[in-house]
Amino acid sequence: MMSTLSKGGIFATALAVFAMGASLPAKAEYPEKPVEMTVLFGGTANTIAQLLSELMAEELGSPVVPVSRTGGGGAIGYAHVQSMRPDGYNVVWNSNSINTSYHLGTLPFNYEAFDPVAQISVEVPVLAVSADKGWTNLEEMAAAVKESGETYNIGISGKGSFTHLTSVALFNAMGIGDQMNYISYGDGKAPVELLAGRIDAAIQWPGQFLSYVESGDLSVIASTGADPVSVLPDVETAQAQGFDVDISMWRGIAVPKGTPEEVIVKLEEAAKSAVESEKFQSAAQNIGFEPSFKGHAEFGEVIAEDDAFYASLLQELGMTN
Amino acid sequence: MDQFLNAAIMTLQPEVLGAIGLGSLIGLIFGSIPGLTFTVALALALPLTFNLDSISAIGLLLGTYIGGMTGGSVSAILLGIPGTPSAAATVFDGYPMAKNGRASLALGMAVIVSVFGGIFSLVVMVVAVQLVSKVAITFGPAEIFALVVFGLSTICGMAGRSLLRGLIAGVIGLMLMTIGLDAFDGVQRLTFGSTNMLQGINLLVAMIGLFAVPFVIQVFDEHRRGIKPPAQATDVRAELPSFRLMFANLWLMIRCAFLGTGIGAIPGTGGPIAAFLAYDHAKRFSKEPKTFGRGNIKGVIAPETANNAVTGGTMIPLLALGIPGDPATAIVLAGLQIHGIVPGPALFMTNQTEVYGIYISIVVAYVAILVMQLLGIRLFVHVLRVPPRLMAIVVIVLCGIGAFSVRNSIFDVYTMAIVGLLAYGLIKADIPATPIILGLVLGPILESEFRTAMNLSGGDFAIFYTSPTALVFFALALLIVGLQLSGEFFRKKSKNAAVGTSNA
Repeated sequence: MMSTLSKGGIFATALAVFAMGASLPAKAEYPEKPVEMTVLFGGTANTIAQLLSELMAEELGSPVVPVSRTGGGGAIGYAHVQSMRPDGYNVVWNSNSINTSYHLGTLPFNYEAFDPVAQISVEVPVLAVSADKGWTNLEEMAAAVKESGETYNIGISGKGSFTHLTSVALFNAMGIGDQMNYISYGDGKAPVELLAGRIDAAIQWPGQFLSYVESGDLSVIASTGADPVSVLPDVETAQAQGFDVDISMWRGIAVPKGTPEEVIVKLEEAAKSAVESEKFQSAAQNIGFEPSFKGHAEFGEVIAEDDAFYASLLQELGMTN
Repeated sequence: MDQFLNAAIMTLQPEVLGAIGLGSLIGLIFGSIPGLTFTVALALALPLTFNLDSISAIGLLLGTYIGGMTGGSVSAILLGIPGTPSAAATVFDGYPMAKNGRASLALGMAVIVSVFGGIFSLVVMVVAVQLVSKVAITFGPAEIFALVVFGLSTICGMAGRSLLRGLIAGVIGLMLMTIGLDAFDGVQRLTFGSTNMLQGINLLVAMIGLFAVPFVIQVFDEHRRGIKPPAQATDVRAELPSFRLMFANLWLMIRCAFLGTGIGAIPGTGGPIAAFLAYDHAKRFSKEPKTFGRGNIKGVIAPETANNAVTGGTMIPLLALGIPGDPATAIVLAGLQIHGIVPGPALFMTNQTEVYGIYISIVVAYVAILVMQLLGIRLFVHVLRVPPRLMAIVVIVLCGIGAFSVRNSIFDVYTMAIVGLLAYGLIKADIPATPIILGLVLGPILESEFRTAMNLSGGDFAIFYTSPTALVFFALALLIVGLQLSGEFFRKKSKNAAVGTSNA
């Protein structure tokens, strides 16, 4: 008798819980629980993500938790988010790596598995050379390299990495691509290798060279984006120096395909005010990246354009899979 | 001097001291729990610093880093499971000491020499940061490769009874780390087409599997077979090292601190190599090498001095060159950057006050850790009173959480379990686990530095034998292997001779 009673009690409770659970989604407004932001890389990517998620949480009124899922050149994190329910509680802190990792063959799906939310920032690679080389611009470097006829060692982050692709595009445009030998360094060691004289030039992120430029050990002779980078305003772009290269790395937020429009808009708004906040702007200056907000429609176009660009660049390099 | 006083005034504020103390405590807790490491602690502490002023933020991060490095010895000594890879060498003699009822002595010694090593490396940094960083950048891929080969040669000393078994273990470790996406050419290796396998085997996860899982299986197996845990484990004396013992080992401490600082200063090397080299050094130069591995306190002093000396060592390239030496310092770097402190050669010109603030924070952190840990020992040793079978359950749960938290990946929990089962099998086959750790730690560096060097030289091996530094390390490695082989040869010979006479 006791046992049937308690069973009935459990059943009633379960029914009540079920009824509550069923009625909640209709009334509640997104977000009603923490949003998880998957971070694909360490370093700058991770630092920006930590800050962005803090600021977005203030706007959304619900925690945004940055969760690091590194490895496989971003493939691990992309695969995780892509397999999640498209309800806006799983977002990915993405970058051009969605394009490159698909075309390199490490990712079985491409950017179309995600809906874009917003572009957040842009990082522009810069070319640094040792100060005692005496090169002050790309023209001088190209001339010196051609004249010597020797092979030069260029520091990159890894084969197929963003800095590698940028290097290839730039040096091909300068007509000295054949004389370049690319050396992979993980963990941002390239500036020191350049300082020690083991390599001749390196394409990396401006923040890594800042202190060396100040101390006069290295000179940065070009940036590869459309506009000069804000932390090194005197450095001319490759385009301004007459070489047709426009490559920069964007970072932004995306959600699994099929996420409701109103959820995307809500995330987009939160991202917008986060990017515009004073905290984010000053952090950008300190870390060395450019805040650059774009709404979801415009961001989608950027991703699609880039996809075609990297497909052809990797094809050219024979690295597609 | 004015700037130093300014820095002192800024650092010795209650909120800054609180931040350093909090960081040290977080670090100690994460470091001392098997499975959780200071890299995870730092990742959690980083967002906390966003709302702090720069000096408090630096203090919190440095405290966490240093506390974590020091705390790793606690579970290494009490349970035989290193809290961090840097504490793996502490297990050899720390764990036997705990088994002999001398846990508190080992723990006390570990924290005191840790503080010694840390402060020593800080002094080196203050006095010679520019000089050391100049020397450190002469270590290119060829030189680091040679250093790592030297590090691998210590397998000889850790192989236990049979060199062959030690080598088998080392090679297993080396091979495990080749799984995943190759960082150089973006090639997939041994992934069998699985996206999960792309992330490869994480060092921490493998380490947890290697040490913790066999411990747990062993405990349950003994419980099932009705083997009672040794009685002396319940007799825990709160015995601290005497000054006499410390002074007797002062020269060893200085040598190991020097070694740790030097290794830490070379980017891309880090705590585990320093700890293993220091242990090997202590054993090799000891008058009684046979007592190592059975609870010789020198076997705790050497690795613990060296791994904390690494903290000051890694600060040198971090501050002077902007180069993080390991994942932990990469997070410290991010914290500095967020607060507008950009490490690199210009830092010492533009941010002198913050640099002094960093120095003072490190000293404060070590004082905090010394006090907390010495008080904590009374608490920690009670762990030994917990019946092993209950402890095993706690350990396996913590390790599962720890393995997951490294990369938030359930794949890593499976990896831990599989590596652990394999490790148990290997231990049953009398193959030592430690050379596997050496292989795991050194394998990726060995490979990447070799390939970078060959890439730099255009495929010419001359890059290795034209560098004097590299030659020195190769020679040291050869010497160690040679000594080991000749030692083994003579031992066999005398054994045979002994057998021969007894038969006659």
